[in-house]
Amino acid sequence: MKGFLEYAPGNSFFHRLNPLTKLLLSLLISIAAFISDSLLFIVALVALNLVLAASSGIFIRGVMLLKGLAKFSMLIFILQLLLVRRGNVLVLLPLNLAITDAGLFSAVLIVLRLIAGTMPLALMLSITQMNDLSNVLVMKCKVPYKYAFAFTTAIRFIPIFADEMAGIIEAQTSRGVEMDTRNIFKKVGLILPLCVPLLITSVKKIEDSAISAEIRGFHLRSAKSCYKRYPLKLDDLLVLVTAALLAGLAFLV
Amino acid sequence: MIDLKNVCFTYQKESTVKDISFHIGKGEFVAIIGSNGAGKTTLSKLLNGILKPCSGTVSIMGMDTKKTKTSILARHIGFLFQNPDRQICKNTVADEIRFGLEQILKDKSLIQQRLDNVIAYFGFDPAANPFRLSRGERQKLALASVIAAEPEVLVLDEPTTGLDYSECMQIMNIIRQLNEKGITVVMVCHDMEVVLDFARRVLVLSEGRLIADGETREIFRQEEVLRRASILPPQITQLALRLGEGFEQVFTVEEMARNLLARTRPQYIGTVRRETA
Amino acid sequence: MITIDGLTFQYKNSTQNALQDIHLTIEDGDFLGIIGESGAGKTTLIRALNGIIPHHFPGDYYGSVKIDGQDTFDVTPSALSLKVGTVFQDIDSQMISSVVEDEILFGLENFSIPREEIESRLSGALEAVGIPQLRYRNIAHLSGGQKQKVAIAAIIALRPKILLLDEPTSELDPQSSLVFFRLLKELNESYGMTVIVVEQKIMLLSEFARKLVVMKNGRIIQNGAVREVLQKTAELRNSGINCPRVVTLANRLMELGVQLEGICVTVDEAETMARRLMYD
Repeated sequence: MKGFLEYAPGNSFFHRLNPLTKLLLSLLISIAAFISDSLLFIVALVALNLVLAASSGIFIRGVMLLKGLAKFSMLIFILQLLLVRRGNVLVLLPLNLAITDAGLFSAVLIVLRLIAGTMPLALMLSITQMNDLSNVLVMKCKVPYKYAFAFTTAIRFIPIFADEMAGIIEAQTSRGVEMDTRNIFKKVGLILPLCVPLLITSVKKIEDSAISAEIRGFHLRSAKSCYKRYPLKLDDLLVLVTAALLAGLAFLV
Repeated sequence: MIDLKNVCFTYQKESTVKDISFHIGKGEFVAIIGSNGAGKTTLSKLLNGILKPCSGTVSIMGMDTKKTKTSILARHIGFLFQNPDRQICKNTVADEIRFGLEQILKDKSLIQQRLDNVIAYFGFDPAANPFRLSRGERQKLALASVIAAEPEVLVLDEPTTGLDYSECMQIMNIIRQLNEKGITVVMVCHDMEVVLDFARRVLVLSEGRLIADGETREIFRQEEVLRRASILPPQITQLALRLGEGFEQVFTVEEMARNLLARTRPQYIGTVRRETA
Repeated sequence: MITIDGLTFQYKNSTQNALQDIHLTIEDGDFLGIIGESGAGKTTLIRALNGIIPHHFPGDYYGSVKIDGQDTFDVTPSALSLKVGTVFQDIDSQMISSVVEDEILFGLENFSIPREEIESRLSGALEAVGIPQLRYRNIAHLSGGQKQKVAIAAIIALRPKILLLDEPTSELDPQSSLVFFRLLKELNESYGMTVIVVEQKIMLLSEFARKLVVMKNGRIIQNGAVREVLQKTAELRNSGINCPRVVTLANRLMELGVQLEGICVTVDEAETMARRLMYD
């Protein structure tokens, strides 16, 4: 979980693109996935995601993302399969349930859309530094700095809280709390020993963070404060045009 | 009591503990020392089953940690973490200790009895809110919770972190008393003065390997071993090592003072200085 | 120069004074250590010096803290941070960014430092702290000691005259702590920064600080040159402070009638003293 959103350093073509370009590219691929009705097209988009991942040097991460998303969408697949009743029945099941061809199609479509639509965003975060993304959103998209800062801080705290959580689980396991129980009722009882320490620490860390930001001039910042510049180059324009065409293609196919 | 045979543990392709074997008998007070990243904390977690060895066996009182559930091990091995805040989850001191006991005991009257005993021993106010206590008090509370389970073995990971001197002494003195009652204590510590004052035996780790195992005073005299582990011995020992011959058995302030006094040239001996208030 | 005059402070929902009648003068270029039991008011004092109190923590505030004549009560903490930088105990929370370079840029950007100066300040800060090679590294992958150095670099890029540190080595191992204090010494001697550090590790303060302040129950009970303060071992012990063993040794020798020129605060000094006693 930790490694998924973390920046993977590199110097590939995609790494060097403007952060805004990367954001728009991933959004356009995402949109293309949700617009199109063609299974083939969406599968092609998934393949495209993997190709982009490979050319940025994060192919393995791309594959793991794919696997993770596939596992995650299993439940949705099953639900969709069982809930859609129109079309021809393929398999009859007890409890008056049936698997139809329309159901199969829409289940596969949903899962593929989910995968093809989520992958670009996750991959984009892997090849874009949080700070660069935040700076560009503040400078070019006029997003208020406070919101961008809150967002990047939240992302930055994820591994920190994950570590705390791991430490809490260790501490509670050591005193005999059965963290790996399969009993549902016992699992519910686990929430308290996990959440209370986490909340207390989180609140303290966040307050400390706020104080630290404040005394380093947080309130003095404006949209123009940023030192780094993010010029748009020819590469960026080419990628954006291609992405737009792809989205357009989605309408037609 | 505690037996490690050829224990190896690897985390994320980096071997953190390599081929470690040792035996700790009942009632011992052992310190594990070594530089940062040497594997001390990993070793301590291997002792109570939070981490299972990749190869080799860790057996505590005959129980193999790989084959025994951590919750069972928790009845016999108490673990005090560096940060008490990762454990504390209830609103009152009594509830916190009771929670720990409920994980391993079913008998309500026994739980209450142990709770009362431990609160009396530590002198807590049972209704106090743990989150309003100082760091030292919270560390004592975590220790109390661990002790209430009446474990035979106590493992401590840097118990003095973040504590001021008197809090540190309070906790260490309680631990010493528990050791005198027969509880085996294994302590990871990077404060050599504390190690010298409390531990009778020392295990020295360097880059995941056990490079020395012996009586505290003996180990602190082995300069080469300590250098390999990037450890500075306690101040008086450093001084004794530098002064060389005649100071081989000097470890405490009193020993050093007497030794120096015996060798001081007469012209430096004058009237006794008395410290005014 | 920092002048604290009759400072008394009580936190808003508290029933007792966290600081009681503090009078303290800190000269430019001082290296001051602050020690005391937990709850003695050390962190509160640091907060009063960097303006967090009263601006972030309201309460009952009496007296004044003046930095170069400017009263911290009248100035925001942001404005003060060009004069006073603070390094905190919790290493992770004080970081703002994921990358070292951005961490240092944060303050420079906020204070509208002119663009032409930014690069030299950035690389200068990294050089001063000895970590130019970490510039593009991800902060989460650094060791505790490295992270604390990044925190210092981020502060000194703003060129404050005063560096405040609240138990900066509490989460560090002994080696990293020593390295950290050597850096503080260099910043103090080569760059003339005033260093004020709260610490529990008396051995480090004895070796590196030149002045020592002991706090108890919100008051300053000792204030003076390190050697002078350490000499009063019994009093310090009553206030819950431990002395380095070599200091206790020197005091014990004096009790036994040995004439010493002064107390020794480090092992080096103890060795010199011992050899003199035995062989001179």
